[in-house]
Amino acid sequence: MDIQEQENSMSNKDTKNNIKVLAANSHPELAKLICKKLSLPLSNVQAIQFVNNESTVVVHESLRDEDVYIIQTGCGGFEKLNDYLMELLLMIHACTQASARSITAVIPNFPYARQDRKDKSRVPISAKLIANLLTTAGCNHVITMDLHASQIQGFFSIPVDNLYAEPNVLKWIKDNYHDTNDVMMVSPDAGGAKRVASLADKLDTQFALIHKERAKANEVSRMVLVGDVKNKSCILVDDMADTCGTLCKASDILLAEGAKEVIAIVTHGIFSGNAIDRLNSSSLKKIICTNSMPLSKHVQECSILEILDISSILAEAIRRLHNGESISYLFNNVVL
Amino acid sequence: MRDIVIFSGSSNEPLVQRICQNLSLPQGKVLCKKFANGETSVQLETSVREKDVFILQSGAGNVNDYLIELLLMISACKMASARRINVIMPLFFYSRQMDMPAVKAGEIIKAKTETTTESWIAQNGMLIANLLTSAGANHIITMDLHDSQYQGFFDIPVDNLYSKQLVQYYLANFIPKNGDCVIVSPDAGGAKRAAAIADSMSLSFALVHKERRIETNEDRSMLVGDVENKDCVIVDDLVDTAGTLIKSAKLLKCNGANDIYAIVTHGLFSGEALNRMIETKLFKKIVTSNSVDQTERKKASNGMLDVLDVSRMFGEAIRRINNGESVSVIYNAKI
Repeated sequence: MDIQEQENSMSNKDTKNNIKVLAANSHPELAKLICKKLSLPLSNVQAIQFVNNESTVVVHESLRDEDVYIIQTGCGGFEKLNDYLMELLLMIHACTQASARSITAVIPNFPYARQDRKDKSRVPISAKLIANLLTTAGCNHVITMDLHASQIQGFFSIPVDNLYAEPNVLKWIKDNYHDTNDVMMVSPDAGGAKRVASLADKLDTQFALIHKERAKANEVSRMVLVGDVKNKSCILVDDMADTCGTLCKASDILLAEGAKEVIAIVTHGIFSGNAIDRLNSSSLKKIICTNSMPLSKHVQECSILEILDISSILAEAIRRLHNGESISYLFNNVVL
Repeated sequence: MRDIVIFSGSSNEPLVQRICQNLSLPQGKVLCKKFANGETSVQLETSVREKDVFILQSGAGNVNDYLIELLLMISACKMASARRINVIMPLFFYSRQMDMPAVKAGEIIKAKTETTTESWIAQNGMLIANLLTSAGANHIITMDLHDSQYQGFFDIPVDNLYSKQLVQYYLANFIPKNGDCVIVSPDAGGAKRAAAIADSMSLSFALVHKERRIETNEDRSMLVGDVENKDCVIVDDLVDTAGTLIKSAKLLKCNGANDIYAIVTHGLFSGEALNRMIETKLFKKIVTSNSVDQTERKKASNGMLDVLDVSRMFGEAIRRINNGESVSVIYNAKI
């Protein structure tokens, strides 16, 4: 590279460019909240679907040399999940065609995160495939939240920022329970023990664990409680609630062991199948869930569901990323 | 046949069964399912270690589900040490470069804000090619690509088969007065394909020219060629909502055509397209191939829909690719 070229590339880097927030169709409310926090308008780029089920992207404004952030979460249930995934890939690809300077996919709930290992013969490591697809489409950076297994970050050859809802969860618990001696943090399975232990440490409370023996995927068989929960307010913490079978059963066990009340806090409310019916008839007093997934419909159907807004975390991460500031501040502090 | 396994995705299993029957091969076993949260899961039950694997998936129906399923299957084969992964897509995914959707009544496209830039629509072909290659595909086999330029998007070999012989076969055997019919292309893009068929059968040829006035957004079509008192055969590569076909057929009737046949390689028939075509009563017969699964539609069509079988063509291509023989011979063979 000669001096002239070097200067050109330097000057290019110094040029002021803007944040462009793009919303795909999975969770427009979240995109709007993020834009509001950043005091930016939502970019006029649209993903549409034709009658033959193929999607495409229409771009109404210039993205040349801008920092593009695409908000698309892994949701949509049985019908739409793969459609939204394709939409994200198409939108990333459209941004490369539009000569964006950098393309960041903001995927609060990373799809296929649970298919992260070869647990049987001749199965794909789907999470790894999704990581490859994102990179192939032209993504330069990924922002996600509470990855099911943080090892998934290693599947990417591009930087991945795994944010935590933990600071906001802590704040919620402190706001709602003044006497934390009364509180018992409970992990509904062994895999989440670390996450719950960290919360318990920060709150200076005790923690218990439910050990489960699983017969088949999505089917809970036998659960054993480790720890004493008598006369305590139990808070079940997990990264996601899918069919909610585990949570409901865990709640029953805790109450049977003498717990005063049980609430659940989860980051990603997937709520597939008849999860909402299950929650409505469960012994849970409350379930707190972040808005990493679109839940406005579920809130109407389920009276015990309460939403914790995490758009500020994502917005602040976007702002810091754009300005080249450290993200790790967000791991321990609540942003408003 | 050496070390070969043929898998079917969930889009077109009947075609794979026929191909396997023709090749006297057992079909590879694979479990494809979707969880309640919408995630697709794939598990291969047949071993593929050091095998020449063929995976068939067609790009119609729930295309995005099928595409992700295909990518997962490719990835699973790769992780299970397959020697070569050949992907057969009778109908290529996202094969059409879509036009900017027209603003019609009731169709809301986000209004342009006060920007100076022109709106544009993303072209997706390159992405699909890259996704397939990145998942681990080594070879692509497809048929009647809508844009033959698509072959250039890949860094791996792409074999594009032609349905020309099938169309010729149908013309020769199932259309009465086939010495005196006119081959019609419903748009300029398909003129070459239709003209080639007309030439090879020494038939006359006509073309529907579509003129879209942007200012008024009104379609005006005109017919180039003479169809008066003749049977017409409209030849196209793909039917989706069937708007173009119906419009062309109306135009042909206005110009005095007798019976109208439509021969289309890939029958997507999105929505109620097939019923709409039948209800116009303009068509004598609608002919398509089983590149897209037509089992249900054929039953519902009351004999209006004829389905050409492409399984032998794909079977022969598989055999030749597996043996390392030339595939181009198929292009000219008699079916």
